[in-house]
Amino acid sequence: MHKHSSIWPWLTMMLLLLVSMIVIGLSVGYSSLGITQLFSTFIGNGKMSDEFILFSVRLPRVVILLLAGMALAVSGSLLQTLTKNDLADPGIIGINAGAGIGITVVYLFARDHFANFAYALPIVGFLSAIATAFLIYLFSYEKSKGIQPFRLVLVGVGFAAALSGLMIMLISSAERSDVAFISSWLAGNVWGADWPFVWALLPWLVILVPFVLYRANSLNILGLSEHTAIGLGASMNKERILLLVIAVALAAAAVSVTGGIGFVGLMAPHIAKSLVGPKHQRFLPVALLIGAILLLIADVIGRSILTTSTIPVGIVVAIIGAPYFLYLLKKQG
Amino acid sequence: MRLKINNIQVGYDDQTIVHDLSIEIPDGKITTIIGANGCGKSTLLKAITRIIPHQAGTVILDGENIQKMNTKVLARELAILPQSPESASGLLVEELVSYGRYPYQKGFGNLSQKDRDMIDWALEATSTAEFRKRPVDALSGGQRQRVWIAMALAQETDIIFLDEPTTYLDMAHQLEVLELLQQLNVKEGRTIVMVLHDLNQAARFSDYIIAMNAGHLIKAGDATEVMTNETLRDVFNIDAVIGEDPRTKKPMCITYNLLKSEERASKKSEVHDMVV
Amino acid sequence: MKYFRKIPLALQLVFMFVVLLIVMFVAISFGAANTTLADVWYAIWHSSDDEKTNLLREIRFPRVLAAVAVGAALAVAGAIMQGVTRNPLADPGLLGLTSGANAALAIGFVLVPNLDYSGAMLACFIGAAIGMAIVYSIGSSSKTGMSPLKLVLAGAAVSMFLQAVADGTGLLFQISKDVSMWTSGGLQGISWSAFVVMPIIIVALISSIIISRQLTILSLNEDVAVGLGQKTFVIKTMMFIIVVLLAGAAVSIVGNLAFIGLMIPHIVRGLVGADYRAIIPMSMIVGGLFMVVVDLIGRTMNAPFETPIVAIVSVLGLPFFLVLVKRGGRFFA
Repeated sequence: MHKHSSIWPWLTMMLLLLVSMIVIGLSVGYSSLGITQLFSTFIGNGKMSDEFILFSVRLPRVVILLLAGMALAVSGSLLQTLTKNDLADPGIIGINAGAGIGITVVYLFARDHFANFAYALPIVGFLSAIATAFLIYLFSYEKSKGIQPFRLVLVGVGFAAALSGLMIMLISSAERSDVAFISSWLAGNVWGADWPFVWALLPWLVILVPFVLYRANSLNILGLSEHTAIGLGASMNKERILLLVIAVALAAAAVSVTGGIGFVGLMAPHIAKSLVGPKHQRFLPVALLIGAILLLIADVIGRSILTTSTIPVGIVVAIIGAPYFLYLLKKQG
Repeated sequence: MRLKINNIQVGYDDQTIVHDLSIEIPDGKITTIIGANGCGKSTLLKAITRIIPHQAGTVILDGENIQKMNTKVLARELAILPQSPESASGLLVEELVSYGRYPYQKGFGNLSQKDRDMIDWALEATSTAEFRKRPVDALSGGQRQRVWIAMALAQETDIIFLDEPTTYLDMAHQLEVLELLQQLNVKEGRTIVMVLHDLNQAARFSDYIIAMNAGHLIKAGDATEVMTNETLRDVFNIDAVIGEDPRTKKPMCITYNLLKSEERASKKSEVHDMVV
Repeated sequence: MKYFRKIPLALQLVFMFVVLLIVMFVAISFGAANTTLADVWYAIWHSSDDEKTNLLREIRFPRVLAAVAVGAALAVAGAIMQGVTRNPLADPGLLGLTSGANAALAIGFVLVPNLDYSGAMLACFIGAAIGMAIVYSIGSSSKTGMSPLKLVLAGAAVSMFLQAVADGTGLLFQISKDVSMWTSGGLQGISWSAFVVMPIIIVALISSIIISRQLTILSLNEDVAVGLGQKTFVIKTMMFIIVVLLAGAAVSIVGNLAFIGLMIPHIVRGLVGADYRAIIPMSMIVGGLFMVVVDLIGRTMNAPFETPIVAIVSVLGLPFFLVLVKRGGRFFA
């Protein structure tokens, strides 16, 4: 029934939810801002200190989370379609770990060589994630059968385990202060909550997300069985590699700024598909909004659960997301 | 009759698969359970052999309730070969067959002379002795099935259960397995109980056929009693033409049509009336 | 390989055991301070106050013996898991045990700030048990058993979840470095005090040999095992306890180490076949041997600095995992 009805009610609802989460995200925190206070500060009538909190602390953080949530949701949607596996997620199949290892290495050994660390980071993350993804792809490719979706996921999990081993090694040899940074990066603490990071992340989304939406129809066909898709005239490998690169790019860009956040890429498309059905034209826009909402909720929880410090978003998401994942796994039987 | 099933009910969770079924398994005969996909024939087989528990009723072997029997003791009375068991990679044929001696062993499981003799005999009886040193997964489907049967034989039981022993085998290998079972029955007097898909094979090799539909017993008897147009209509919802196998003189289904849905519906209610 | 399989098992075991002793002997003699084989021989039989003998007896001996114990424990734990789940990719590290131990360790440090050795060990046990129980219960929930893919995915998700708990706790209470010191996967600074866990490992290893025949039967097919008169529930519970004891003890000594439990049993199957009566004792020896060699490489590759063994194991383990995935679960095709 709902699978064929208009998606606009859902989109409107999600949009409203998103806006209210943004407002909550802006007001909750160490020094909370009431709605009226928030509004007056926003239009320029607030106190200096409120202005500082809003424009230099809260707003960039909320915008980063918004963008990252969208990027991860789209990345997860792509990966699920391309691997024909409903349980694929950039965190689980090793892409986060790939970005993480690059960032860790650069942070530990080459930090001083970059004038604009903020802008370099997404690129470093992207490059090492794409290298990881390439290796994963290579090992799950078989000459006679092409890319094996099942194997892709397994190989990804193997890579994730091995890379986290390497990461432990790097951390164990690092200085105490560096360890604090890297382990909080791994936990997904949104360390880059500042405007330069917004500008570093935004272009990736502005370019890639519309492109993915534009390819929605070919994604529908790529999700079918290999032979059916070929029969329908899709040029499988070229299209698939392109979309895979986009999925990696979006995840890596988001994760470079926010730190290791898993499960959003899993949950957002799932919830969206259960609301509006599996057609990409329909669920991608909804998933986009849900991804942003999920991250904002996780952040609000992480910031308000303790008054003394913040629990990283990545941890909150994992603690919510892992049981959801296991529930899905169990349901599939 | 050594093995009696009284008012057995089997199911998973809240779903009942076998309803209140009673049957006796004739000793020293080949008994075959037939029925449509999902009718509960494998479930019945598993319940009789305590692979899965049953919710109500009893399975009695020599006057004893099998659910109360020591499982190792029971394993010396009846062997069960599950449907297409996967083979542990790299296991040698003789190793696999030697596990049939498990119910007779204690501790670390060193083989006695008796154990070795039984293993040799089981390999000979199934003509698998020649590849006893080969890994099981290097064999063909028919050979592998014979090896699993050898394992069941090594268990030294009078009663052997087999769940679809011919699945995934080609026509020749199917016959090979069934003839092996027939030989064991005739020469050794073993009681064989199996699930088969092929009606004509069931008719050709069984002394006793149990026909099931939707978890209920429809008809039990020898091939001529079960292979009738009426019974097959109730069991498979087909309209079958029954003839005689020119070689074995057993009844066989020559051709059949699907029943139209209205005929089927009327039959279903009759089936229901009958069992109620 | 083929010739090795023709030798009787007892001889194979004796042969490998002698190799293990020789390698241990050599490993003890290597290190930052120069010692000769003759010194080692002397130190085995004499306790005297000279510096060399003391160094050997107090630092090298416990280290090499701990390596043997950890390698044996992880290898046997992996072998049992592979047998029970009939899953060639099962490994304590991949299936959530070690991250469970991490999480419990972090919580342990918070609750008891000056956590002593046996306390940390206890925490590792509890954590490993919880991690394994979650994955195991999911893996055994479906009637036909879980496909390797799903079990590995469940393990990955549970690992991420428990790691999030560990990281979050570490960050909140500023004990990341303490936890990562423990879990970075090394044998540095092992002393005889670590040997409080030895009785547990030894008991569990002996039990695993006693139970090995049951494991072979169970590894064939669960229905076959029941048909042969095995009390599968009792056996599986015992296996579960043994695995938790072994993995918990290993993690408490060495920290996170994935892949050993995966690799060793597969290598051993290539040597002795598919019967667990041979696999289990052989895995102990080969696992111990492997760990001693890896630790030796770690100590000498970049001396005087230690190369963390987790890095070496990951580097070796990932390709192994990939080959296994590629060959559909068999290393020696």
